[in-house]
Amino acid sequence: MRIRFLFFLFCLITYQIGSAQYTISGYVTDTNSGETLIGANVVLSSDESIGVSTNTYGFYSISLEAGKHILKCSYLGYEDQIINVDVSDNRELNFSMSEGIAIEEVVISAEKEEADKNVESTEMGTIEVPMAQIKKLPAIFGEVDLLKAIQLLPGVLSSGEGSAGFYVRGGGPDQNLVLLDEAVVYNSGHLLGFFSVFNADAIKNTSLIKGNMPAKYGGRLSSVLDIQMKDGNDQSYKAQGGIGLVASRLTVEGPIIKDKSSFIISGRRTYIGDLAQPALNDSDFKGSNYYFYDLNAKINYRLSQKDRLFFSTYFGRDVFRFSQIKRDFRFNLPYGNATATARWNHLFSDKLFFNLSAIYNDYQFQFDGGQDQFQFELFSGVKDYTLKADFEYFYNNDHTIKFGINYTNHELTPNTATATNGDVDFATEYLPKYANEWGLYAQDDIKITSKLSANVGLRLSLFSQLGPYESKLGNGSFEDWETVKNYFGFEPRASMKYTIDPSLSFKAGIAQTYQYIHLVSNSSSTLPTDIWVPSSEIVKPQRGLQYALGLFKNWKDNTYETNIEVYYKDLRNQIDYSEDFVEDLSQEVEDAFVFGKGRAYGAEFFLKKAKGKLNGWIGYTLSKSERSFDDIEGGRWYSTVYDKTHDLSIVANYKIGRKWDLGAVAIYGTGRNYTPVGGFFLIEQNINLWYGPRNSARLDPYHRIDLSATFTPKPDSKKKWKSSWTLSVYNAYNRKNPFFILYDADVNLETGNVEISGDKITLFPIIPSITYNFTWN
Amino acid sequence: MNFKTFISLLFAALWLNSCTEPFEPDTDINQPLVVEGYVEAGPGSIAAYVIITRALPFITEIGPDQLGDLFVNGADVKVSDGDKTVQLTELCLDDLPEEAKILVAEALNLDVDSLALNICAYVDVLDELIREEGRTYNLRIETAEEILTATTTIPRYVPLYDFRFDDPPGEPSEKWARLYTTIDDPADEVNFYRYKSAVEDEPLVTPFNSVVNDVFYNGQSFEFPLSKAEDLQEEVPFEEFGLFARGDSITIKWMAIDEDHFDFWNTRDFSANSAGPFSSYTRINGNIEGALGIWGGYSVDNYRLFVPFE
Repeated sequence: MRIRFLFFLFCLITYQIGSAQYTISGYVTDTNSGETLIGANVVLSSDESIGVSTNTYGFYSISLEAGKHILKCSYLGYEDQIINVDVSDNRELNFSMSEGIAIEEVVISAEKEEADKNVESTEMGTIEVPMAQIKKLPAIFGEVDLLKAIQLLPGVLSSGEGSAGFYVRGGGPDQNLVLLDEAVVYNSGHLLGFFSVFNADAIKNTSLIKGNMPAKYGGRLSSVLDIQMKDGNDQSYKAQGGIGLVASRLTVEGPIIKDKSSFIISGRRTYIGDLAQPALNDSDFKGSNYYFYDLNAKINYRLSQKDRLFFSTYFGRDVFRFSQIKRDFRFNLPYGNATATARWNHLFSDKLFFNLSAIYNDYQFQFDGGQDQFQFELFSGVKDYTLKADFEYFYNNDHTIKFGINYTNHELTPNTATATNGDVDFATEYLPKYANEWGLYAQDDIKITSKLSANVGLRLSLFSQLGPYESKLGNGSFEDWETVKNYFGFEPRASMKYTIDPSLSFKAGIAQTYQYIHLVSNSSSTLPTDIWVPSSEIVKPQRGLQYALGLFKNWKDNTYETNIEVYYKDLRNQIDYSEDFVEDLSQEVEDAFVFGKGRAYGAEFFLKKAKGKLNGWIGYTLSKSERSFDDIEGGRWYSTVYDKTHDLSIVANYKIGRKWDLGAVAIYGTGRNYTPVGGFFLIEQNINLWYGPRNSARLDPYHRIDLSATFTPKPDSKKKWKSSWTLSVYNAYNRKNPFFILYDADVNLETGNVEISGDKITLFPIIPSITYNFTWN
Repeated sequence: MNFKTFISLLFAALWLNSCTEPFEPDTDINQPLVVEGYVEAGPGSIAAYVIITRALPFITEIGPDQLGDLFVNGADVKVSDGDKTVQLTELCLDDLPEEAKILVAEALNLDVDSLALNICAYVDVLDELIREEGRTYNLRIETAEEILTATTTIPRYVPLYDFRFDDPPGEPSEKWARLYTTIDDPADEVNFYRYKSAVEDEPLVTPFNSVVNDVFYNGQSFEFPLSKAEDLQEEVPFEEFGLFARGDSITIKWMAIDEDHFDFWNTRDFSANSAGPFSSYTRINGNIEGALGIWGGYSVDNYRLFVPFE
């Protein structure tokens, strides 16, 4: 079977070996900033079906027959650039693109080729999320949030009120691969997930793959959120920032050597706790504070036309300090991510693009505190070292072949705790867990006929649990780097597109994926305390198999884009905690796991109006997500907490003149599942909760409307300093969406009376906010 | 309160601009039986007893009559200590003379003021069971509809010693003191402990985390602070939490328990303390086949102490 598949792949690759052609290749950049443009289209003006898109680094390569041609480069919100080329040999041709003259067109216009991507691309469930559009959406506390914006897309659910956590197509929160310049971000939330760690000012491009992920991606079952940081303006210095109610941010970028090298540095910090300091200083809690911050930095250097270096880094922390002077009680709770990515782009030829990445990422959670002589420290974290080599071979206009290899060394530290009480020391004896993860992939984007195209790929993965390790299954002790257990993953991926007419296409896809690193939470939301656990001799890799079908149609000269996608996911080796799980340090997390299976299926409907003063989208998802564990209620299939039958999002932007941008978001969703209290029982004269079947009840439906208005006083100002004000209202009609149920019981055995109450707790009422934004250029 | 709950609530306290409205669950689930029974060994221990009730449905208010109806009467309750099997006798407070009522209430650690409620228990009235460390006890209950079974063991007792009171951490206090004690944890076995405390003649109170195992300190001898168990239905200022008032007489009931017994209280305490915005649910892990609850063996000692003035 596998040999047949590889033979088929080979046949497809070698299907078209035509007459001699020449290659035109180069980069597409923004004229003003020098930023490379990802996903720009370069097409033949005379036959727009012949064309290519720029890759993640803004590089393209197109094959043309000898002779005179007119090449057109287009990109969303930019003026087309048309260049006559006389092709007689391979040559380099760079496009420098200018933003559209009319600013209002930036978001709302979509060039034909751009809009056609919806229909033309072989990819399924893939959405590019323009930062310009995200910045115009209403935002809670005025903090523009990438992760909250993607929750408005069909198939993507929020993990809770105001949360930046998300679930994709019935998958768990750990099944999303979140990448920032290729580095894995293991915890993408600040303040228990109410804010994401991504500073919108530092982000260039975001794409979300909800399923059928190409073979170049691996390690997660549900989705890939691929975020690219800006490279930095290599033409002139620029600063931008904002001052909000809870946080402020500042970004500075500019050339180090014009046209050759640039930098960007961006920071954000909250000051809620700082504002409370005068009050805290006069209280018993002097010294307590909470804040979070993010720092992004990136530099790049063009060594030659064929070589370019990038170095980017992110560092973010939540810092919580608590102090109670009267009883000498205090603790510090810092946690956060650090990433660093070094990349070398090299053109081996005008057809073969190469990228080498060395990546480091580190998530740490720490707690240290004490009282009097008692001191306590707790630490958990994930640290990865990754080396990746990726090749893109632009064989001809009908074959774009990507292949590569990557290696990651994981170090996962479970909850390790140490404590001292005077002269006595206490400590857990849990060692970090080590593993190697390898991925080898190849994929080809193939035009088989003018109507039929496909993307086929294969990923082979290998995960090795390494020593030092003491087997819990009686397999003895393992030394440093000694292999404890190997897992091999065979991950074929395929999708195809059939063009019924130029505005209508049918797509189908299938993808098998393996996941070797897991996070299980017994909370309704992911928390910084949740522990990432590797596959081991006890924990098998998760496996997902997704089937998807889609119909894509554009209407009225691409004014409207629509698509319907249906999917089915078969999930194996799913992980959860046992029902009597108690979070304490007396056992390793993996020892409390139970293993089972899952299934998720649904239909997604998407209508987008891409042009005009009024633009936006409507997304609706009808879905089901279930799990079954032998050790939970005897294997009964139950709905997951991220099972939402109906999920509707309506997003609208409206431009009034040149000064006002209005935005609105309306959300309706089925209420979240929860495990109901069946009743209570008395033990030692205290009331204890007794639960019904898992997730067998639902909270009330969730709905709200958010509004925003952005005012730019002088949109045509030629001054270097430009500013705007954004007013946002979250939950405009003050809907009391239940966040959780809090039970309380009052037992009075003197009178023989018991009072039991359950209260629906609402988190966020109506929240207005205002933000001042500025740019200096 | 577990660690996650602690930080969750602290975070939540920063953010919860919350409002509430009453909630009525839409569930219709049969009420299971609940068993609460103990067999103790050691100084001050009491005869074995078992209380059988039905779980309460989600009713917002329950009066003394309804509460009294929860007690299951007429069950056949037997306990075997390995050598002999003893039939426990059902006693309901209303059937006892006033003096006996008070004695029973004290033995069951019930507030004498609660005697308005007709509590029923199955008691080894003649104290026939041999109650000693290392012995295993099998419980068998037969009601009109169900047969329930459970097993527990009374483990070896590990005493506390060198009790002392000191100023609480931080600022000195004339009113409050902190209790310190010492334990020699045996190295050759896994040990599980539970404790309660009482002030003056009040009933013993269970702290919100009432059990601990020796994973962290197996085989060590060390001094540690032992907090006063606070009644969670009363609000206690943070700076007084876990401290004893100077001048009070107090009782510490220190108990060694087996693993199943530990699991019950561990899940029970976690379930009770982890309710909140970020918590899922935890089922209380009882050891009764066919019902909720616990059949628990204790080896106990009661330490009566006086909290000295400064």
